[in-house]
Amino acid sequence: MVGVIGIERPAVAASRPLRRLGTSDRSSQRIRIIDAALASMARTGRFRTSLDDLAASAGVSRATVYRLFPGGREEVLAAIVDTEVARLFSELAVAMGEAADLEAALVAGIVTAARRLRGHAALAAVAATEPGLVLSQLCFGRFDRVLAVASEFAAPFLARWLEPDQAARAAEWATRIVVSYLLTPGRGLLEVTDPDDVAALVGRYVVPGVLALHPPGPGRAGPQRARQSHKEATES
Amino acid sequence: MLPAPTRQRILEAAYACVARWGLSKTSIEDVSKEAGLSRSTLYRYFPGGREELIAAVVGWEYDRFFARLYDAVHDATTLEEVLERGLPLAHKAIVDHEVLQRVLETEPELLLPAITVRAEGTIALVAEFLRPYLERHRLAREVDIETAADFLARMVLSYMTAPGRWDLEDPEQVARLVRAELLGGIAPPD
Repeated sequence: MVGVIGIERPAVAASRPLRRLGTSDRSSQRIRIIDAALASMARTGRFRTSLDDLAASAGVSRATVYRLFPGGREEVLAAIVDTEVARLFSELAVAMGEAADLEAALVAGIVTAARRLRGHAALAAVAATEPGLVLSQLCFGRFDRVLAVASEFAAPFLARWLEPDQAARAAEWATRIVVSYLLTPGRGLLEVTDPDDVAALVGRYVVPGVLALHPPGPGRAGPQRARQSHKEATES
Repeated sequence: MLPAPTRQRILEAAYACVARWGLSKTSIEDVSKEAGLSRSTLYRYFPGGREELIAAVVGWEYDRFFARLYDAVHDATTLEEVLERGLPLAHKAIVDHEVLQRVLETEPELLLPAITVRAEGTIALVAEFLRPYLERHRLAREVDIETAADFLARMVLSYMTAPGRWDLEDPEQVARLVRAELLGGIAPPD
């Protein structure tokens, strides 16, 4: 749900919510309110619930909602986006962190993100009732922001095998693949939630493309090492 | 010169109105005045009224956009050349498209669903254009031309609309994007 409902501060959105997912009373009440709002969005396709209704469905007092979200509905909406991005990223961190090689990390990242986004009930409901709201984050200039946030998050997981610049470009590329196939599944040439389909694409086109990005001049040791270790990994 | 056929005249007038007032504020009345045609003539060509006319004008300019792009790059001889010339040109055409940029700024929710319902056709269009270049090129083993053309088309559309960390005005970066990233697995250099 990266940036879907208007991330204005990408860098902040990427780092801040992770700290909020604690278990203190305050943060669990926050999460209860956010989850109630998500459930309402999944039912109606809109974020129209009043804060009073939200308090009732989350099982907290009105005063608690107003204390936790003094900015009102807009602050709740921003918190929903932050939370869903954090949840996506923490799932991605586990999947990509367990990968044994570059290809596996890219496949895990693409498939995990695609599955979570496609299965996201609130996102699907909002996309059905107000498609422009979702699409405006995934097309043209605003998509550049989504690419920046996603690539900043995912690049460190790929940097185990790549130079930092290569890793950032590879992470951005993977994000483009997820969004292109989710928005336009096409004629069934590739199912972006299917690990075998994605592995074929990544192995054939993405990994060779990323490895060919090694920086010119000195500093080639890194990428060559990456190519070597990738070769070893795929041969073993 | 012969006067433009009526449908063409209506679309040109509608485009002029959208350029001036945007999608949501353009009315049948405005277009009728701009075209110098009666409202009933407009309804004869666009029985669905304003909504149908707006969808038609979006589709009309979309077709013209890709026709201009085709004219600008179809004489390229190699896969590398067509991508290296096409990506910066396409991106510049989007950035310089004043009407598109204004609508994206002020009423993206009206435009984007209309563009994305066409996305499958757009991917097919670009893939069909790239296919002969792929067929003429020496390809990596096991590359399936249909899959490669579809994938390249998706990526071309992604980079030209949102270049991300790539500066498409820098020919060196474009060459790196095309030769290394995009073609590294499809058509690697000898």
